[in-house]
Amino acid sequence: MSKSKIAVQVDDLTVAYNYKPVLWDIDLEIPEGVLMAIVGPNGAGKSTLIKSILGILKPIAGSVSIYGQPYEKQRDLVAYVPQKGSVDWDFPTTALDVVMMGTYGSLGWIKRPGQKEKKAALEALEKVGMLPFKNRQISQLSGGQQQRIFLARALVQDASIYFMDEPFQGVDATTEIAIINILKALRKANKTVIVVHHDLQTVPEYFDWVTFLNVKKIATGPVKDIFNDDNLTKTYGINYKVSIQK
Amino acid sequence: MSSAQIEIQLIASLVAIACAIPGTFLVLRKMAMISDAISHSILPGLVVGFFITENLNSPLLIVLAALTGVITVVLVEQIQKTGLVKEDTAIGLVFPALFSIGVILIAKNANDVHLDVDAVLLGELAFTPFDRLLISGVDIGPKSLWIIGFILLITVALLFAFFKELKLSTFDAGLAATLGFSPAVIHYGLMTVSSITTVGAFEAVGAILVVALMIAPAATAYLLTTDLKKMLLLSIIFGVFSAISGYWLAHWLDASIAGSITTMLGVLFFVVYLFAPSKGVIAVMYREKQQKIEVSLLTFLLHLKNHTEESERHVNHLNEHINWQKVRSKTVLELAQKNNMIAINNHIVSLTKKGDEFTTLAIDYIMTNEDAQIEDMKDDFFLFRG
Ligand SMILES: Nc1ncnc2c1ncn2[C@@H]1O[C@H](COP(=O)(O)OP(=O)(O)O)[C@@H](O)[C@H]1O
Ligand SMILES: [Mg+2]
Repeated sequence: MSKSKIAVQVDDLTVAYNYKPVLWDIDLEIPEGVLMAIVGPNGAGKSTLIKSILGILKPIAGSVSIYGQPYEKQRDLVAYVPQKGSVDWDFPTTALDVVMMGTYGSLGWIKRPGQKEKKAALEALEKVGMLPFKNRQISQLSGGQQQRIFLARALVQDASIYFMDEPFQGVDATTEIAIINILKALRKANKTVIVVHHDLQTVPEYFDWVTFLNVKKIATGPVKDIFNDDNLTKTYGINYKVSIQK
Repeated sequence: MSSAQIEIQLIASLVAIACAIPGTFLVLRKMAMISDAISHSILPGLVVGFFITENLNSPLLIVLAALTGVITVVLVEQIQKTGLVKEDTAIGLVFPALFSIGVILIAKNANDVHLDVDAVLLGELAFTPFDRLLISGVDIGPKSLWIIGFILLITVALLFAFFKELKLSTFDAGLAATLGFSPAVIHYGLMTVSSITTVGAFEAVGAILVVALMIAPAATAYLLTTDLKKMLLLSIIFGVFSAISGYWLAHWLDASIAGSITTMLGVLFFVVYLFAPSKGVIAVMYREKQQKIEVSLLTFLLHLKNHTEESERHVNHLNEHINWQKVRSKTVLELAQKNNMIAINNHIVSLTKKGDEFTTLAIDYIMTNEDAQIEDMKDDFFLFRG
């Protein structure tokens, strides 16, 4: 990789819930323009890592920077797709309205979204193939459609770095292909895309960069160099789990 | 109607509106119990505030009592954070403790405090017109009307200013945080407004009605709409409707006004719960029945598609082959015929072109869960309505 600009830098990050650390001294550098998978077993702290980078959770130690600045100064550069299960899909609102929420950051407090924001939201819906469903109440959408709506909401932010927490969870094959094509297009446009991913089979096909995580960072780097049995065993293997618990 | 009657209805209606607005967000945030906690635990705040100000209508008293409401929320959250108990348990621990402190304070100082526990729970709506606000000797109306009117004005102003922030942080607190809208600020803002509204409404309508007016109209509206703005509007309408009809019910039965309003809220909820067009109990049951028939229809069509031999498709033997009761096969047969999906020649049933296409599409849909192609069928068939 010749371009060595660092999009996201994490230093000595430790995060705990109720004083029980779930991320332990994480150092991580994510170069600009990669499409990166974060892999690790359930409860490894993948979601926690993303939430800490985005300032949703306060770490007990360590720091995070986005293009060399703290997150608070770089909000406009970052878009986030939370885990689908993190919101209540029975909330009284429509697909279009959810996508519009992506524009709220650029509006700031009090100001209401207008025609410009609506147009941007409609374009994003079009990109994910959800335009025909724009007025559908969100509980009336299938799992894959809900995930596309979330993706559209991130696209409308027109960010430089995208964080996505399990965007392929519970989606059908067509949607998975549609989503990965959009992610690849983002990378082509030199955006940095960071995806929590569960299906190890598809890592080499979808991603060019990977981070192995299980409470500690096991490894991070190009898929072709580090996606191997050794790191997989270290991340998912039983022996390794035992050794970190003491 | 006497002017006192009009004033009581006006006060009750304003209280209903002021409660419905924060109540809608409390319901959507699944925090209904919190309003119960606030309404009870502001009592010690009211009593202490009264000791300091010696005036039941002092703004300081309202501020102090509202503060107790916010403290309640903080206490609940702190207890919950220890991870030892769940939220409902934490609420159950905090508010009886604070409420009983209030009750003890009242009992110990009964001579000085013009508050009694009955009034705290049920309010004294009927007496509100007698407590007038005088400005340099001029009567400008009941004090309660001015207090709740002022609180309502602030609530509405805040709602208009921060509607987008409230919606976002209620739906997706994580995204709100990443976009720079601190969910904590919005959360405590909402808790403060809820507390102030509770205190303002409390004296007039009591703790029980405050909770009912916050939760019931919003819960009723939730069953009827899929649009947040409409939900707010419906909550307000239901609240005001219950306030006014409850007042007349009380008048007619010579009963407690607060009790009658609460009854109306309950009745309204129950009626909507039964009859709401898509989320109501009856609608859900009807839909389930339809879906069952349609699954049968599809099974039947699939059977026809899979079996070319005539013996399998004879009208009189269908029930044997698909193993259905007579009634059910008759319903299904009629449904299929009505939709031109089958043709019957010489007692032999066969798929029409339309039936064949429909079956293929439907099977496709069930296997891939791909919606786009089936869109236009949704109006005719429940099965595809997710
Ligand atoms: N809000 C929370 N409170 C307490 N523990 C939590 C909370 N969220 C997550 N955890 C715990 O932190 C660990 C990491 O969780 P998470 O980051 O969601 O893992 P992953 O996304 O890798 O599955 C898990 O053990 C989980 O149980
Ligand atoms: Mg997770």
